Amino acid sequence: MVRASMSLGERTTMRHTLLAAALAASALLTGIAAHADQLADIKKKGELVVGVLGTDEPATFVDPKTRQIVGYEVDLVNAIAKKIGVKPVLKQIAVAARIPELQQGHVDLVAAGLTHNKEREAQIDFSLTTFVTGQKAIVKKDSGIAEVPQLAGKKVLTIRGGTQEPNIRKAVPTAEIVTFDTSQQAFQALQQGKGVGYVDDEAALLRSYAKLGPQKAQYVVLKQNLSTEALAIGIKKGESGLKAVVDDTLRELEKSGEAQKIFVKWYGPATASGFQTRDFKLESDKID
Amino acid sequence: MPLFDYSLLLTGKYHDMLVAGLLLSLQLLAASLVLALPIALVVALLRLSPLAPLRWLGFAYVEVIRNIPLLAHMLFWYFGAPELLPEGFKQWLYAGHIEAYSAIIALALYTAAFMAEDIRSGIRAIPTVQFEAGRALGFGFLATMRRVVLPQALRVTVPPLISQTLSLWKNTSIATVIGVAELMYQAGQVESATFRSFESFAFASAAYLTVSLAITGLATWYHHRFPVRTI
Repeated sequence: MVRASMSLGERTTMRHTLLAAALAASALLTGIAAHADQLADIKKKGELVVGVLGTDEPATFVDPKTRQIVGYEVDLVNAIAKKIGVKPVLKQIAVAARIPELQQGHVDLVAAGLTHNKEREAQIDFSLTTFVTGQKAIVKKDSGIAEVPQLAGKKVLTIRGGTQEPNIRKAVPTAEIVTFDTSQQAFQALQQGKGVGYVDDEAALLRSYAKLGPQKAQYVVLKQNLSTEALAIGIKKGESGLKAVVDDTLRELEKSGEAQKIFVKWYGPATASGFQTRDFKLESDKID
Repeated sequence: MPLFDYSLLLTGKYHDMLVAGLLLSLQLLAASLVLALPIALVVALLRLSPLAPLRWLGFAYVEVIRNIPLLAHMLFWYFGAPELLPEGFKQWLYAGHIEAYSAIIALALYTAAFMAEDIRSGIRAIPTVQFEAGRALGFGFLATMRRVVLPQALRVTVPPLISQTLSLWKNTSIATVIGVAELMYQAGQVESATFRSFESFAFASAAYLTVSLAITGLATWYHHRFPVRTI
């Protein structure tokens, strides 16, 4: 039975309790806002939660045999977790969710093919550059397109929420751009002829291209770079302690030659990406 | 703490993107609804048909369609089904707005399965004697349906159909997965361009709510204007 009425005294007490509760709640909120050292939290909970795509071979993808997420970025993240002395926990996130997930504290780091650019610097911090890639377009040969500007007025397919779309829009403002949740879907749409071109980071694009097998002959990767992207690990704004550990780990990987080994393992000549050389080093968190 | 930035929603490029998304969502709603209603009616009649194979056909349609998630329908009608078309037609179709067409087909077929069940219940709500009287007067199955049963049944059916229309309106948002630039898609685009998640999705939510309330208002008005006459 719910109490039907309250005496005046009860009501006053209740108001006081409410007021106290509100004060306590606001104090608590301020407390959370003022609390800044994420690194200490990570150590306390014993795990480093990292947002990854898991659909971006060979940076982060699901190994079909072990069903585990593996890849270039995973190796870097594992090194960082080891350095902090905690267990890495990978959380799959969508391309468009990368920055919000980080800002809301659902993940500690984002290692998800994240481009480091000026616009994003206002939102989050970035580690040292972990990869440098051009963004390119691939088209079907029979479309007769040989140069990027010829994509004008044509349907171009890409992933949503990344820098691919703004970059192709900048390069070819009149292109009609259709975006998908994953690169696989966008690439599938290209194969089915639902667009003339497909835009992605070169490393990922070459990987998709290699998967075409004998059909490769029907496609051309346009030479011109739409942009050059510096990829980095995303860190919540102002978490300088965490950023220092991440950067130190990356520097150590570079110094020990481990970074080179990891690169060759995922992107080297023996892989489908087939990069002959590594044209960048893990040394700077500055971009042009 | 960043403040809620109204200017983003009221003017400029992002406002235009969101409004374009809203208009496309409304177009998806209108086109799918117009397609879904006749399909639903036909399926409902199939399910009540005197011929067993037709009844099975109606049953199979409803069960297959409504027991598979709309997301799967979308992907099927975009990535799967069009691939079976003849080459020339396919290329012509792909050069146009294939995303929107696929979305409309998926939405219409999906909604029709639910609406068919509502229409069937509506028809069954009309006393059988009405049907029998029609047959006794010498009308065939279809003529009895058209002249006696359906005019009464459709009035009974309007409230549940409105409810399905509300679902359809919200389901248009799923078209975003096949790259249709509807409201949720545009809200996502604005979010990734401006990092103003709250504003863009607040716009989308307000728009969905407003249209939904308008549909509900229409239903209430219809109910008062054309009350159920029989039963």
